Amino acid sequence: MTVLGEFALWISLPVALWGMFLGFAGGRTQRGDLVLSAERSIYAVFLLHVVASLGIVAAFLGDKFQYWYVASYSNRELELFYKITGLWAGQRGSLLFWALLLGFFASVAVFTNRNKNREFMPYVAGVLQTVLAFFVVVLLFAQVNPFERLDFIPANGQGLNPQLQNYWMTIHPPTLYLGFTAFTVPFAFAVSALLSGRLDARWIQLTRKWILTSWLFLSVGIVFGMRWAYEELGWGGYWFWDPVENASLLPWLTATAFLHSIQIQEKRGMLKVWNMSLVLMTFLLTIFATFLTRAGLIESVHTFAQNLQIAYIFLGFMGSVLALCAVLIVYRLPQLQSENQIESFVSRESAFLFNNLLFVGAAFAVMWGTLFPLITEGVTGQEISVGPPFFERVNFPIGLALLTLVGIGPVIAWRRATKKNLQRNFSTPVVAGLVVAAALWFAGARHGLALVTWSISAFVLTVIATEFWKGTKARARIEGEGFLLAFFHLVTRNRRRWGGYIVHVGFVIMVMGFAGAAYNVDTRHHMMPGDVVEVASPLGHTYALTYEGLSVSMGQGQRNLLWQVIATVSVVADGEPAGILNTEKRRYVTSEQDMTEVGIRSTAMEDLYLILSAVDDTRGALSADSSAQGIDLQVLIKPLVGWIWFGCVMLVIGTFVALWPSADRRRAAAETDADQAPDPRPTPIGSAG
Amino acid sequence: MKHGRFMVGLVGVAAVVTYLVWTGVSSTMVYYLTPVELMERIEEDPSFRDLGVKVSGKVVPGTYDRVEGQLLHRFDVHDLEDESVTFTVEWRDALPDTFTEEVEVVLEGRLNEAGTFEATTLLTKCGSRFEAAPEDLAR
Repeated sequence: MTVLGEFALWISLPVALWGMFLGFAGGRTQRGDLVLSAERSIYAVFLLHVVASLGIVAAFLGDKFQYWYVASYSNRELELFYKITGLWAGQRGSLLFWALLLGFFASVAVFTNRNKNREFMPYVAGVLQTVLAFFVVVLLFAQVNPFERLDFIPANGQGLNPQLQNYWMTIHPPTLYLGFTAFTVPFAFAVSALLSGRLDARWIQLTRKWILTSWLFLSVGIVFGMRWAYEELGWGGYWFWDPVENASLLPWLTATAFLHSIQIQEKRGMLKVWNMSLVLMTFLLTIFATFLTRAGLIESVHTFAQNLQIAYIFLGFMGSVLALCAVLIVYRLPQLQSENQIESFVSRESAFLFNNLLFVGAAFAVMWGTLFPLITEGVTGQEISVGPPFFERVNFPIGLALLTLVGIGPVIAWRRATKKNLQRNFSTPVVAGLVVAAALWFAGARHGLALVTWSISAFVLTVIATEFWKGTKARARIEGEGFLLAFFHLVTRNRRRWGGYIVHVGFVIMVMGFAGAAYNVDTRHHMMPGDVVEVASPLGHTYALTYEGLSVSMGQGQRNLLWQVIATVSVVADGEPAGILNTEKRRYVTSEQDMTEVGIRSTAMEDLYLILSAVDDTRGALSADSSAQGIDLQVLIKPLVGWIWFGCVMLVIGTFVALWPSADRRRAAAETDADQAPDPRPTPIGSAG
Repeated sequence: MKHGRFMVGLVGVAAVVTYLVWTGVSSTMVYYLTPVELMERIEEDPSFRDLGVKVSGKVVPGTYDRVEGQLLHRFDVHDLEDESVTFTVEWRDALPDTFTEEVEVVLEGRLNEAGTFEATTLLTKCGSRFEAAPEDLAR
């Protein structure tokens, strides 16, 4: 199976190149047979990559340690689950996995458009095959072939890094990759629009769902990564401004900008060049994210070993794509003229534009900070780096401005907002924001940035809640429906708009959760069994923690565990017993490092987070020496962390609402294939002026 | 035609972002040095001590010591190329799991008058963090 897989990977290269050539040639000559062949070659490449991936999985399952990749990421004792996910645990496999996902999305795109939108498809197929061919070239020629063999057969593998043996870690990378690869499809349509000259908003309408899907996976993938860091890395944080984290944030920022700016093009026929640039930029940033992780040019907790060859191949590819697309955009400039102009500074177009500018500005700042060590070393020969303080300083103000726009954008009128429009929509929310700020102030919250964040959040939530309320009320009155039914119909009749609002609510809740970090409590204690510490939370709760002692478990090699030293702490919250938390040090047979597992007690408002920082005498504890019980315990209280995860769930729900095909649209699609009519969205209630 | 006013707004945002990046960099940047370079800089200009720096070096095996009850860790670090250049590091926080006496560390902090490096951040660095080098497999 594995040999077959390797064979399939090699075959996929000529097939991809063939399809690439045919796609472009077919587009040029308008020959249907060539185009059909190009499209079918995409299915072929996908199937070949399925075979190749199965080959890798088979090698993992069969403990075939003659393969370098398997020997480096697995061992006989590894759990079955992690053997399967070994496909994307390391650099080599994850590149193949990337190609696999890309092939899947490409196939879906080709399949769903097999009978329609034919004017786009030749070039779409060509572009998709180009990107696929690029990844196959990397796999085969950049010393990252997952099928590479060792010239000997190790008795056992090295095992998987214990930190990667975590549920979130198995789903975080694939989710991100899904987001990254899905974005290739809108990019392919954009390039196709440029090549074919069909430059109206059609390509955007066709790819809106792709963009949303990609954005959803990116968002969720990033949050999964945060969750993993929070649970597994054992320092109580979830975001580190690490280069690779930043690299995944960059395409998210530009994709979010793009999601908003395409609405202006659809509604008002503006920003065409800008949208083309954004889709190109986002695509390049998805490639850049892989590049940064794989090439190891910048130090990061994520990077794999440094590989300059891969760096050059990636740089070459990104440079060529950038140059070719820039030429195309310039060539098509005359057809990319705006059909309208911005009429007023105070209008929805303007709010969207500022949103875009801020997102791109944030992306620029993050990129600059991430690459700063490389730049300074290149320019001055002296490496200078910036850390989390830089990213926070720059992104907090931008984030607050964006947060404010979340409240302003949806209700400000298109074209030109009147004073009346502003007053009617914003008086109550502004008051709500101020009231919340005042209430928090009197409740004792004094952290300026957090107060501002929560106050603006209250403003935004009030705006959105008012929109929902007004819409539901109007519908209930006009249609004579009950409130619940009216609410349901309101959302389902314009899923795109109301789904978007739900996403906004989720985002605001997440931001409120982020601001909770301003009130983190961090205490450290050296404890002996029976010792009690009391920790007060900023929300007024008190935790009495009793250290009950250490227990030891020898793993006997099961699940790769050598031993565990578990500290048991019983928790009394506000005088009520609240169970037991364990935090432990463990050692895996395949690693020379101790691993810390934290104990977390989550409630809606705050998390209690225990870290076993150190055991006084690990050896003594393991040999059941009853005097070896002293530990360093770190007790953290993390207000509002749960809001981040909850906000993410809202965000997913909202995106699903926006993605779900509406009944009207389905009917329209059945009746006429070319669904050319612009989205018949009513102007929001209250913005008639 | 409010085009002019609009442009002012756009340029304003761009200017603010640029300003944030600019001041952000200048107030948070740190030099990233090797221990040898750090010593040279301090020799040239003793006030360099007060500047926070980022330093990478290798932990000297056998020098790690933990002060019980104080959450204080001490170890020596030497230059990657010149093993004679060393200093002691004090770290007052939990050590990352990846810390062993064999790793390369990246530290931020300052070298005090006594010649001890008071670290405020500590990262371990090894190309093989998630990946083994082929040579290691031959053991």
